[in-house]
Amino acid sequence: MPKRDYVQDKESVKTFLSEFCKDDDNGKKHFVYANQLVKLAHREQILLTIDLDHVSEFNEELAEAIISNSRRYASIFGDAIAELLPTFKEREVSAKDALDVYIEHRLLMESRTRNPMEQHDQRNNFPPELMKRFEVAFKPHSNEKAKSIREIKAEHIGKLVTVRGIVTRCTEVKPMMVVATYTCDRCGAETYQPVNSLTFIPVQDCPSDDCRINKAGGRLYLQTRGSKFVKFQEIKIQEHSDQVPVGHIPRTMTIMCRGEVTRMAQPGDHVLISGVFLPLIRSGFRQIIQGLLSETFLHAYRIVCINKNDEASDQEAELTAEELQELAQDDFYERLATSLAPEIYGHLDVKKALLLLLVGGVDKRPDGMRIRGNINICLMGDPGVAKSQLLSYISRLAIRSQYTTGRGSSGVGLTAAVMKDPLTGEMMLEGGALVLADQGVCCIDEFDKMAEHDRTAIHEVMEQQTISIAKAGIMTTLNARVSILAAANPAFGRYNPRRTVEQNIQLPAALLSRFDLLWLMQDKPDRDNDLRLAKHITYVHSHNKQPPTRIKALDMNLMRRYINLCKRKNPTIPDELTEYIVGAYVELRREARNQKDMTFTSARNLLGILRLSTALARLRLSDKVEKDDVAEALRLLEMSKDSLNQLHEHQKGHVPNTSDKIFAVVRELAGSSNTVKIADVIDRCTTKGFKPDQVDKCIEDYEELNVWQVNMARTKITFM
Amino acid sequence: MHSLNLNILPEHLKSEEGGLLIASLQEPKGWSGIPLLNYTPLHDLKDMSIVRFRGMIQDMLDPEMYLERYEIVKEDNTCRVQDGKFRDCLLLNEGERVNHDAKENVHGERRTFFVISIPGLNNWCQEYESQCSRSNFPKPVETENTAGKKRSAPMEEDDMHVEIDTTARPAADGDNNKRQRTGEKLNNTIDSDAVNHTSNSVIGMEYHLNSPIPSRPSKACMVKIYNDFEKYKLNTIIDVVGFLSVNPALDATTMDVDAFDNLNEIQAQNPPPSLIPRLHAIAVHCLPHPNPLLDERLLSNSQTCIDSHGFNMLSVGNEFRTFLKLCLFNDNLAAEYLLSHLISTVYCRAESRCLGRFLLNIFNLPQNRISNYTKQFYELLDLIIPASHYIAMTAETMNESTFGPKKDYETNKLVSGMLQLAPQTHLVIDETFTKSDRLNSNGILSMQILGHVMTHQELKCNFQYYEIDYEVDIPILCFSEKKSILPYDAFVPIEYDDQSVEVIEESLKAARHYLNPIRLNQFRRFLTMAKLTEFNVNPAESEMIQNDFVEMRKNKSIRDAEELHHLLVLTRLLAVARGKNVLEKDAWELAKQMESTRQQRFTNREGSN
Repeated sequence: MPKRDYVQDKESVKTFLSEFCKDDDNGKKHFVYANQLVKLAHREQILLTIDLDHVSEFNEELAEAIISNSRRYASIFGDAIAELLPTFKEREVSAKDALDVYIEHRLLMESRTRNPMEQHDQRNNFPPELMKRFEVAFKPHSNEKAKSIREIKAEHIGKLVTVRGIVTRCTEVKPMMVVATYTCDRCGAETYQPVNSLTFIPVQDCPSDDCRINKAGGRLYLQTRGSKFVKFQEIKIQEHSDQVPVGHIPRTMTIMCRGEVTRMAQPGDHVLISGVFLPLIRSGFRQIIQGLLSETFLHAYRIVCINKNDEASDQEAELTAEELQELAQDDFYERLATSLAPEIYGHLDVKKALLLLLVGGVDKRPDGMRIRGNINICLMGDPGVAKSQLLSYISRLAIRSQYTTGRGSSGVGLTAAVMKDPLTGEMMLEGGALVLADQGVCCIDEFDKMAEHDRTAIHEVMEQQTISIAKAGIMTTLNARVSILAAANPAFGRYNPRRTVEQNIQLPAALLSRFDLLWLMQDKPDRDNDLRLAKHITYVHSHNKQPPTRIKALDMNLMRRYINLCKRKNPTIPDELTEYIVGAYVELRREARNQKDMTFTSARNLLGILRLSTALARLRLSDKVEKDDVAEALRLLEMSKDSLNQLHEHQKGHVPNTSDKIFAVVRELAGSSNTVKIADVIDRCTTKGFKPDQVDKCIEDYEELNVWQVNMARTKITFM
Repeated sequence: MHSLNLNILPEHLKSEEGGLLIASLQEPKGWSGIPLLNYTPLHDLKDMSIVRFRGMIQDMLDPEMYLERYEIVKEDNTCRVQDGKFRDCLLLNEGERVNHDAKENVHGERRTFFVISIPGLNNWCQEYESQCSRSNFPKPVETENTAGKKRSAPMEEDDMHVEIDTTARPAADGDNNKRQRTGEKLNNTIDSDAVNHTSNSVIGMEYHLNSPIPSRPSKACMVKIYNDFEKYKLNTIIDVVGFLSVNPALDATTMDVDAFDNLNEIQAQNPPPSLIPRLHAIAVHCLPHPNPLLDERLLSNSQTCIDSHGFNMLSVGNEFRTFLKLCLFNDNLAAEYLLSHLISTVYCRAESRCLGRFLLNIFNLPQNRISNYTKQFYELLDLIIPASHYIAMTAETMNESTFGPKKDYETNKLVSGMLQLAPQTHLVIDETFTKSDRLNSNGILSMQILGHVMTHQELKCNFQYYEIDYEVDIPILCFSEKKSILPYDAFVPIEYDDQSVEVIEESLKAARHYLNPIRLNQFRRFLTMAKLTEFNVNPAESEMIQNDFVEMRKNKSIRDAEELHHLLVLTRLLAVARGKNVLEKDAWELAKQMESTRQQRFTNREGSN
């Protein structure tokens, strides 16, 4: 790279600072930096952040030069600003602190006593560092990707870099000397010493003319009042766990913060830090011992806490076009579902439901009333059907989650406990699992083993999504916007189909009805499935790797980010669908009355359908719920009911095939009239969990049997 | 081989002599001629001599940037260029200084690993290794490792300024050592009145050494490596040859520290080299197992190497089974399970599960009649397993000892925990004297960490803001009176008659007698060789198993996929123990039969209760 002409650069910096402007909303020109310079001149602002995007706009080469040699350019900017500032001064500024007063006094004294012709000792001049009352920082390009500490290598020395990490340690903010001012005990002359490193050796002998010529041997005394200090803080950051390769230890990095950048982060904060990567110059004894090694640090210009500023973290999590492409295939719904706990075979509908639970429905707040969007699911089933595995997978996948077991958690452990603060002795609240999982998933295994009085704590959470506490004089309501994923074992070891759900699980109906979906997972020997499973396992054992499956499971991280993306959508239900939903619900209710149903159907089911369909729309990243979403939601509801009821049919010995079932539906729909519209039939059937092709097959089958006739346009069925 | 010149300096490594040395290290035999730092007292070794260290990577430090080549300005302003590789200090004569801005300067990167001698390495391995080292070392060293001595701690013999106060060491079976940074401070200052350099030390010696098992302190060494940075993972065993660096100037306790630095961290990162020497690696070898008998880099003169071709796995396996049966109240089934457990190793990780793990719980021991049985039995196993540790599972142990490693941000060190063990280090948990006692929060955490290791063979390291899982391979064996509550792969209720209980003392004595040196060596080799066996499943057998599984599902003799995994692992282990390396029907049938016998014992027990 050719050497840059720094003098020329300084000039262009000056033009940039005074002339760079942006059009604001009203079309007026807004001088970004000139305005700030005015504030700097009046000591209303200390930190001037130079946005490199602006510099690039102004001069691409200059921006590049800044990135590769930031420290030099920081001082060039500093000098340029110092020279510009007097021109921006609009009025006299009142002195703000001791140093201002001090500087003012010196300037006054100098102008009075100094003979302009006299040669003045350079060292007795005010160093520019003492006079500067502002700081310069660079803001990296907005498209700059944050690196991990591991990626910062020797070649980054001197360059502007951005790293991401977690703060592990902060020192206290200490004053650091930038300019040391001394007074001579003989001649009274003042000497200044700029300090650039962490340590300095104080000047002993007075260098002024008086003392030197007279050999008076004046001693210098440090003057804290006239010295300039800046705030200084050392921070240690560490790589985040997702940046650490398997089997390695997270790396750490030292960050030095000066002035306005101090006190920006605390241990535990996730931060993005931009700054210059520099070697640390050691002096004295340490240098001799460790001269071979050079320690490095990052001189921070800018610290952004990610957990305080969601925008930054979202940028990190943005899906690339490539990833979206991978997701946007036709079968993405099924693919996402199978990617949940890929080691568990089958149970596709359960996995679909769990996927919707992760995405969640849309919260509604009509007139202050709160209708939750979170979906609650309860998995029931015989021991050993991988319920717990599903739970633990979900709790690992969800960004916020808590995993507890019913037996191990008390009501207090779930909600909140009142503790005595060991330091102050005051009573304070410590959040339980449900509070900690706020806006996440709370997985409760062995739900049925939970003691009765502990379970009541969940009632409120599951509908109101809050926890009210009145303990030890503390009365409050905490947010617990959680989705509950529960797993329960049947009370009698195995699920008894002759009893109702409440009897089987021994949970009160009030609680069970709060679950949007109840699944019964069963372990039935099934030749095809078993063989597939056995093939899979033997393959793993004989080849020591996973068999190549048709659908490749998606990476957990990708899923997490996709789900996050989905959660940002807030789809609405268009009016034309309301009727369809209401119709489906009324149908459900009627059916529940007519048949001897072991589950129950209540108004909560209607809300459940809405939640599931909004979650489905979110999953498609759509802003509007479509009919298909509702149909799928109804299908899932139907399947979940089926999973509870199917045993009956099994025992009756007569298993009507799908076509027969659809025929019954059509018969019912027709009622007394002789003709039925096929569109109606398909609508009705999908609400009952039949697929359109099954319906088509049924229509054909019965047409062949001459039970009914279909018109030419295939829109109407007429019974014979 | 012995003519190799080991008196070579880092600067001469590029010379002809250095080339010869590097070439000889390509050959495994070339390694055996180098003294092992693990077993050689430091005062017998010179600074910058070539030594060797075997151990487990316990921690990885941040990379170091160093001057690979630098310019030195002499007093008369003439310059010379010096290499900085493989060194810790600048090489400066009187009046010379480094020109930090010279164009000649080359910066390089190196990594430091904190390596500790394999935790839980049993006596016989240490003896064997030290014997190998001694036979190569010209000077006779007649200090350590007499057979009667328990747990030779090599440091004690060293010319150490800080001596371990033996009273301060916890009892061997206690393990309830709280890790404290300043724990030994008092002892240090008392001992070190002669030497002043420990006086401003803020960190205790035990904290420096960072042994996973505090009652069996390991030796530590800081290994600096110069290439293949990404190849090494935490907890792997490495064998390193390199330059020893013990310049006393490296000790941070002698440094003056300015106000901006953290004293704790500097001292922790620069421990006294007399305690923790530095080693600049020129060759690194990753060991797949800790067994020295099967390591061609260790050759003992006194022992003729048994040819692995003439080694009959089947007959040794049978002998070993008989031996185990003798120790287990003549219970054949338990012996078979125990044998399978002892040769198990995690051979594959797929789909978030690890295959090959075979954790065993042997319960129903008549504890009230033979109180010392588990301990005695462990002593026998200790003679055969290369690395193992015995934990008496009491509420006290759980509550007071550290199980998982934890990052200490004050010192930037990963403080070790009892489960940070090298691959294939066996853990024997004795639950026979678990009394009902409450666990405190640390005890519950310990249980969780142990449980995680058991189910996933992953060790959770606590980095305070998050946890990271590291893969481990720790077979765990548990003895208990009642079925353990921890998730073992196989629970075997032992069956015995009164007579065998009465004679168990004698049986164990007989078993010990049975272990003559030749048998011992055979058994030791057998265990590791079985673990290393390559195993195959032919398509025909795998189809047979698939069909069998469907059948078994039908008649409900198998429940789920988990059990099939378990059966397949057991089949593999049974076959390997019989010297086979392919799956055959016999082993599968045997595994099925063993499992059903085991289930039968459970039903019998329920019936009798």
